[in-house]
Amino acid sequence: MSSYHLNRFLFDLKMNQSVLKRASADLQSVMNEYDLTAEETEALKSGDPRRLRPLGAHGMVSLYILRLNPAFRDNVYWAQK
Amino acid sequence: MPLVSALAASHAPNILLEPGDEWEDFMRLHYTMAPKGVDSKPTLEQQRTLRHDAERAFAVLRSDLEAARPDVLIVVANDQFVNFFFNVIPTFFITLADEVKGQFTRHSFHYKNHKDLGRAILRAGLDEGIDFAFGEYVELQHTQTVPLYFLLPKPEIPILPVYVNTWVDPVPTPRRCYQVGQLIREVASARPERVAILATGGLSHFPGSSRIGEIDTKFDHQLLEILRVGKAPTLADYTLDQLLQAGDSEFLNWMVVLGTIGEAKASSTFYMPDFVATGWGFVSWRI
Repeated sequence: MSSYHLNRFLFDLKMNQSVLKRASADLQSVMNEYDLTAEETEALKSGDPRRLRPLGAHGMVSLYILRLNPAFRDNVYWAQK
Repeated sequence: MPLVSALAASHAPNILLEPGDEWEDFMRLHYTMAPKGVDSKPTLEQQRTLRHDAERAFAVLRSDLEAARPDVLIVVANDQFVNFFFNVIPTFFITLADEVKGQFTRHSFHYKNHKDLGRAILRAGLDEGIDFAFGEYVELQHTQTVPLYFLLPKPEIPILPVYVNTWVDPVPTPRRCYQVGQLIREVASARPERVAILATGGLSHFPGSSRIGEIDTKFDHQLLEILRVGKAPTLADYTLDQLLQAGDSEFLNWMVVLGTIGEAKASSTFYMPDFVATGWGFVSWRI
């Protein structure tokens, strides 16, 4: 099964400020805008990139879920592409 | 005019991050994927040594580049989900923009793009059986800006970003990348400009893989030895598996440059594994 929507959501977290801002405030409602499975939604809510890769998230894209983690929100990683 | 300079350099973000706080901050993210990396993380002193050694290597490459007096620098790199995503992933892409920009932490980059050379490569490829994708807008990313910071800090000449998909399976074969380089060499030879070329990326690292944090230094040393003795064409016979099992997918960018230099021996090679993620490699061919 394609993981396109899971990857798309993670990609948008990094590349789309509006998605990041809205997801930071209400993750569930933004996830509802994507065609995600229940398993993908649960893995995203866990915030653990290592749970996303087995579901088909690209290894580097899975890291982008950390952008919602307060401990990594201002990480220098996001200041470079 | 024949190509005037060929270079290859790693583009790992930590090359350009400041040793200390920036390195540590960046690596905190890395360690979430590579928990074993914490055990081998470099001290501040080791970070400074790495930066110093990288600057020394870049100084040699930059000196060779400037001595060649190029009119344009082709930059062969991979996109990492900045311009291309799973909706469209081009295997090879030529930039036909007027100008290209990018940002890396506090560093801004802004170059003219050599659209005419891009168009000439695109046309030659279509005529000879290499069908590049192309487009009129790209954003520069660390795969270009990290080496450019050291090699072309002022936009004195235009660049031409060429992209190779090394990032999303399926990726092209080493031989196909080498053929792209051969085509670029032919096109450069027929152009009035003095053309230089830079490949970025590598060497061994496993971004996004379960092996993230491993560095196959033995394989990297073998690659560099092959370049020093002028046997680059033999690398076109390598299988994809040989490169991928060693974490050298981005060596496909280098394969394009190898296609432009053929049997020329590398004049300078440098290698420094960064302990935690990547074998940094730097090569110059004086032509």
